[in-house]
Amino acid sequence: MRGWLLGRALQAVAVLAIALTLLFFLMRAAPGDPLSRASEVRPLTPIELAALRARYGLDQPLGTQYVSFISGLVKGDLGVSIEYARPVTALLAERLPATLLLGGSVLILNFTVGLWLGVRQAVRRNQREDRWLTAVSLLGYATPSFWLGLVLAWLVGIKLRLLPAAGMEDPLLSIDAGFGVRAGDVLLHLILPALTLSIVSIAATMRYQRTAMLEVLNLPFMMTARAKGLPEREVIWRHGWRNALFPVITLFGLWLPILVTGSVFVEAVFAWPGLGSLAATAVWGRDYPVLMGASLLVAGLVVLGGFLTDVAYALLDPRVRLA
Amino acid sequence: MEGPAGTLGNLELADQLFLRLASPGPTLQTSGDRGFVPLLARSWTRRDSVTLAFDLDPRARWQDGVPVTARDVVFTFERAKNPAIAPRLVGLLRNVSSVTAEGDRRVVFRFARSYAEQLYDATFHTAPLPAHLLDTMPPEAVAHSDFVAHPVGSGPYKLVRIVSGQFVELAANESFFLGKPKIERVIMRVAPDPDARINLVLSGQADAVDNVIPPLDNIQRIQSDTSLRVIPVSSPTIGFLLFNQKDPRHQDQPHPILSDIRVRRAITLGLDRQLLVHAVFGSYAQVPYGPVSSILWIRNGAPKPTRQNVEEAKRLLSAAGWQDTDGDGVRDREGRPLMLNLSLPTTSAVRRKLAALIQEQLRQIGVGLELQQMEFPLWIERRTAGKFDIDFAGTVQDPSPTGLTQAWSCSGGTNVAKYCNPRTDSLLDVAINTRPKGDPAQPWIAALRQIEADAPATFLYTPFYVYAVRRRFRNVSIMPASSWLMLREWSDSR
Repeated sequence: MRGWLLGRALQAVAVLAIALTLLFFLMRAAPGDPLSRASEVRPLTPIELAALRARYGLDQPLGTQYVSFISGLVKGDLGVSIEYARPVTALLAERLPATLLLGGSVLILNFTVGLWLGVRQAVRRNQREDRWLTAVSLLGYATPSFWLGLVLAWLVGIKLRLLPAAGMEDPLLSIDAGFGVRAGDVLLHLILPALTLSIVSIAATMRYQRTAMLEVLNLPFMMTARAKGLPEREVIWRHGWRNALFPVITLFGLWLPILVTGSVFVEAVFAWPGLGSLAATAVWGRDYPVLMGASLLVAGLVVLGGFLTDVAYALLDPRVRLA
Repeated sequence: MEGPAGTLGNLELADQLFLRLASPGPTLQTSGDRGFVPLLARSWTRRDSVTLAFDLDPRARWQDGVPVTARDVVFTFERAKNPAIAPRLVGLLRNVSSVTAEGDRRVVFRFARSYAEQLYDATFHTAPLPAHLLDTMPPEAVAHSDFVAHPVGSGPYKLVRIVSGQFVELAANESFFLGKPKIERVIMRVAPDPDARINLVLSGQADAVDNVIPPLDNIQRIQSDTSLRVIPVSSPTIGFLLFNQKDPRHQDQPHPILSDIRVRRAITLGLDRQLLVHAVFGSYAQVPYGPVSSILWIRNGAPKPTRQNVEEAKRLLSAAGWQDTDGDGVRDREGRPLMLNLSLPTTSAVRRKLAALIQEQLRQIGVGLELQQMEFPLWIERRTAGKFDIDFAGTVQDPSPTGLTQAWSCSGGTNVAKYCNPRTDSLLDVAINTRPKGDPAQPWIAALRQIEADAPATFLYTPFYVYAVRRRFRNVSIMPASSWLMLREWSDSR
């Protein structure tokens, strides 16, 4: 198992290196000037542009820029943002906690509520509850998250004033407020964006889990478990659900990076200070250093997602390890 | 260190922390030595046509209690004129030849030549920094220094904390020499999305919001909250259709259609600009005369913009040889249809909506317009390279009209359409370099008349920025050049 894990980890690092190299050159091959945002407010003269190009190393040959990026990366330095004139690592470090909190909350809701409802549907196939949940999940899946976010912010935040309509914390809260008060405040701000993202993702997970569970329910080993006189709860969750997890584990691997990058609209609507909005601004402004930093994180999550999926498969199914 | 995008938010925060020597008055007059409001400088005197002496207010203190001195001003301008630190400022301060101290309280500016905006150049572009905290620090170290996280300014507010991506908290500077601000705690929240900004103020999480942008529904949503007051303010923004004078494919040759002034004027006359502006901005924008946004003082006394005249537009096109010979609704000449591309960025909802309306209005006079919407960086790249027929430009202007030379003179650094008329250059030169005895706007208006006559662009709109502030705040004033500059004089009746 250790050798398998080591081999798989090395493979992941190689994939990451190739992805980053491709991203570096593809970004620069795309049309658009990273100093375009600087010209947005007041057009810059050619002399001013040349000075800025020299400052950010954009006047260097592509190969030199690549070597500079790699040598910085090795030292943990991702360069300075063209847009913010600040170190990229500091920018990412500031935004990452908000993203992980939102993405993590959605992931937890998704893989608890979504899985549970999917199994319930499968067990109650074609009954009234299954039909209702199918209709609700299809409705949730078809709802665009940015629209849902706008509606929830208007209804819950503005009309009913039950929850904050935007932001991540109340700036009027005293600096000396205790951890519990602060955590409660963040939680209140988290509810609407997390709900907006979860409704869509839970619907998808329910559909996957229902289908996977239905395939397992009629297999012979389930009949054997029942014939042994095991309680129905144990038959479903211990024998059935474990074998119906494989497609959902794949889904987890796919969701992991999407939850970091896929919340751009929701972050915008709720003024949530996460990585998605930072990356979106960087794409818009061709802020190469920030783009590479964000890409490194996303590529890392893609690779990590794949790696964790493989490990989970191996743990759940010995045949994978043997293969 | 100056970043490439000196974003408005950063500048407005800086205005709360650091005071300038003086600021333009309510009319934003930038010409001459009068009309400016003293700030760090108590007064100024003109020694000769190229020398200005400023006397600093002896009460002025840095927030650590150290007096503001002439040494601070000299130090700041030394740094500001270093191209490695502030490339943009170097260009703006090119006419400031030296800044010297005469004792602790007097600072003398010498200029490279005599011109009308010396006081503006000396006071507007940068605010003094504390030399006693920064002069031992290498310039390249400032961006990563503790000073950036905990700046010590001379302004009405002190920085308490910055929560990245969320808000900036300021506290009143109790020893501010022009009077302690009445509002003791100010929080500037960050919300790049317009809907999120409006939601913050409508949900009661904010007391004021800046720049509520079209669609008009947004302003109506604000107006539906009776606790809010809507305040339109002149803006530095101007939108226009820029006609390329050169062929985008062979840039050493004139544009096959738009190099003809009759076609350019016909396009301007074919558009009902008042109607277009009203459709998108309601009453919150004006049609400008020439490339003049509503904050430029030279707009006063300028003629009214030409109104739509479809018959004259058609006559001009016919006179230029463009006729609809095949009856397809688009004019043609020698087998070539009168079709033009209009480039615009996808990021501007205002321009996207206006472009569709313009396309329809020009169709009425037989001009075909193909809309080319593109991602912002690509649009900028093509614009800068002169690869467009008509560019839907939207720019922000400084309060000084001298910036007009950049886009509308033959050698202008941002003259991407290659408009060139030596007479316009000469008129701009006169306006910049003379110190008229009468109305200082008149030389500028002469230049604007020439630009309008040449029709290098159709000047479409200059909007008002719409702000909303809770009614409980008193003595509210919002400055066009720096929105929250006068926040120190607001008070809360609650």
